Amino acid sequence: MNFYPLSVITFLFLSFTTVIGAEVNIYSHRQPFLINPFLEKFTEETGIRTNVVYATKGLAQRLKAEGKNSPADVILTVDIGRLYIYDDLDLLASVNSDILNRNIPQNLKSPENKWFALSKRSRIIVTSKDRVKEGQIKKIEDLADEQWKGRVCSRPGSHVYNRALMASLILSLGEKAAEEWAKKFVGNLARRPQGNDRAQVKAIFEGLCDISIINNYYFGKLKYSEDQIQREWAKSVRLIFPNQGAEDRGAHVNISGGGVAKYSKNKKEAVALLEFLSKADSQKMYGEINFEYPVNPNVETTEELKSWGSFKSDRLPIISIALKAYEAQKIIDKVGW
Amino acid sequence: MNTLLLFVGVLTLAGGLGISTAWIVTYYSFFGKKVIEWALILPLACPAYIIAYVYTDFLEYAGPAQGFIRHIFGFNSAADYYFPEIRSVMGAIFVMGFVLYPYIYILARTGFNNSPRSLYETAALYGRNKFFAVGLPLCRPYIVAGLALVAMEVLSDFGTVEYFSVQTLTLGMFNVWIGMNSISAASQIAIVTFVFIIILLVLERKARSSQKYNDTSKRLNNISPKELSLKKALFAICFCLVPISVGFIVPIIILINNVFIGLKPDSFFVIFPVLLNTIFIGLTATLIIILLAFFSASSAYFSKNRALVIIYSIAATGYALPGTMLAIGVVIFFGFLDKFTGNIVFLGGTIYGVIFALTVRFYAVPYGGVISGYSRIPSNLFDASKSLGYSSISTSYKITLPLIRTSIIATAILTFVDIVKELPMTLILRPFNFETLATYTYQFAHDELMIEASFPAFFIIIIGLIPILLLQNQLNGFFHSKN
Repeated sequence: MNFYPLSVITFLFLSFTTVIGAEVNIYSHRQPFLINPFLEKFTEETGIRTNVVYATKGLAQRLKAEGKNSPADVILTVDIGRLYIYDDLDLLASVNSDILNRNIPQNLKSPENKWFALSKRSRIIVTSKDRVKEGQIKKIEDLADEQWKGRVCSRPGSHVYNRALMASLILSLGEKAAEEWAKKFVGNLARRPQGNDRAQVKAIFEGLCDISIINNYYFGKLKYSEDQIQREWAKSVRLIFPNQGAEDRGAHVNISGGGVAKYSKNKKEAVALLEFLSKADSQKMYGEINFEYPVNPNVETTEELKSWGSFKSDRLPIISIALKAYEAQKIIDKVGW
Repeated sequence: MNTLLLFVGVLTLAGGLGISTAWIVTYYSFFGKKVIEWALILPLACPAYIIAYVYTDFLEYAGPAQGFIRHIFGFNSAADYYFPEIRSVMGAIFVMGFVLYPYIYILARTGFNNSPRSLYETAALYGRNKFFAVGLPLCRPYIVAGLALVAMEVLSDFGTVEYFSVQTLTLGMFNVWIGMNSISAASQIAIVTFVFIIILLVLERKARSSQKYNDTSKRLNNISPKELSLKKALFAICFCLVPISVGFIVPIIILINNVFIGLKPDSFFVIFPVLLNTIFIGLTATLIIILLAFFSASSAYFSKNRALVIIYSIAATGYALPGTMLAIGVVIFFGFLDKFTGNIVFLGGTIYGVIFALTVRFYAVPYGGVISGYSRIPSNLFDASKSLGYSSISTSYKITLPLIRTSIIATAILTFVDIVKELPMTLILRPFNFETLATYTYQFAHDELMIEASFPAFFIIIIGLIPILLLQNQLNGFFHSKN
């Protein structure tokens, strides 16, 4: 077989590829097609090249095993739980940056400046426009009401977004009440928990159920989908930002975020990337590209997002959600969500 | 419990399909048999998780299949009629059974083809059923090897069960380990899984060792297939078309349809480097694995050293380990190695890591194939070679290599296709800016963006199909065991 020479050449090539110029190596839980626009702009502005490995699972373990040898400089993730695992495994460096301190509020970063939120997403309720009247559902707690028996759809509970929501309920209602809620909520389900958030809207469109919980940006993705049918799905649902009462805690929010690897060899470039992502232009891009909310208080939410309604978000320090993840998962397993 | 159900279900379905179709194409001849014969292998090129995505889209409540039923019968909601839930254990059995049966089909067919005709004639003479009296018992090592491969695929599967939200041991282990960062809980589940694997291997070994094959005349015999009447031939064709359609034709049509919806002018341009990466990894790793497997299987066979055999068998358990687990094991091992060598070499996060992990994972495929090839070579050939003064090494080269070429080529194809389909290990271990077709598909499929995912997914299947088709003629030649 004649692929042998080819293999040898490629082998050598891969072994001796040398690094020219400044660069930053990224371990990312975000899909390349979402972060590439940011990275291209970053390289354009700073001349720093970016290299990416994308995976949804196992990157923290890889980073840990690589130890001091790790080539990784920056970690980018979605969900506070995932971000916190890096902190918990002591894989992140403390970063002292005036820009980051100025751009990111206290409750959206680690107390030791090891990780920083870069965008916010709200976990919201969607209901069928035709089959659920406006105002009938106002809070996450309402989904446990018996009148919705057989009318609720959900993604599996152990998915990080639902786990974080569960943690927020434990924090605001207490463990016992939260479990009670979860039990009744599962009792209301129209089908086994399955699919991602997109699939829930689809199920409502098709009439399989009337109510579900999704991350807000999925609505935007469907509304502007290239696929005509998916745009129809979006049209069939009403968005409800939950728990907006004057005395209420506000809608649960989760974050995407990042940190600098403890053993990064390009710390300066790594910090520069995080700073870049926190500044006004990039913060706006989060809204434009992925319908997410800015964390930088000086940046306005995009017009599109504003048109979905303004809301107040739960002011819990985001780290407390991560700290309750284990308790949340226990309840989820117990009630079979 | 789910794991057991999935296990038994997939083995029964894949075993039934694989053995019955192999029997039909070996012992009967009918119109269109040549086409059927190779088409039966095609589902092999389809990764189970992609088939799972495709069928879910198609069969779930909102999909076209149920939409059509509702339209025809005028149903308005899910409560009006019964339709099986695709995202369930049954759904997973269905998808995996129809995608994995070719493993058994290929091995069983090789086995049937290599069985001596004299025995069938004897059976006929005594009025015994050819299939149960001769075919099945004689092919047991092949069938068991095939079943073991399928069983291990099921145990290691993560993508399909995750997508269908079927709580198996593997998925559970995963959620507590990676998701919750709790190693102790994960190890408990891992131990249960490992016990499962060991039991499986012991069973396989038992099934094999209880038989010894020494038929000196078999190479002189070719099976002469029986001509079927038109009615029976039609039935045979229809029967074989079921697995081909479910495992290949239907999903590929849905995929192609999606490809056309989502095709953009620069699609090919973007996919090209990804394609090259995939082929490079596939060929390199396959070559390494085949060499290793041939060497180890030969040494295990010739030296009667039990320890060696046990070590090789343990090495083959890599196949049953979920890719993600294995990948993390490799990462930890490389981290240790890098520290140990004082960082002179740095292996973590390089292409070597990926190839190493693939080797650990897929070594079992050719190893099992070569071993069962050996078990069919009459041992008096080796004795003869020895008495002529040849060493074991030159015996392997002169006698065994030509005789087990079939097994080697067949398993090389299986290995290559497996590597092209492989997802979780490549995902975790690959170097920066390195995408294979599987990882490239995943970033879209993970977000249930079926349209975008279909284009690279389609290429995964094509890349897997090429060696199958290219070597088909050769394979067929070997199946019909020319001397």
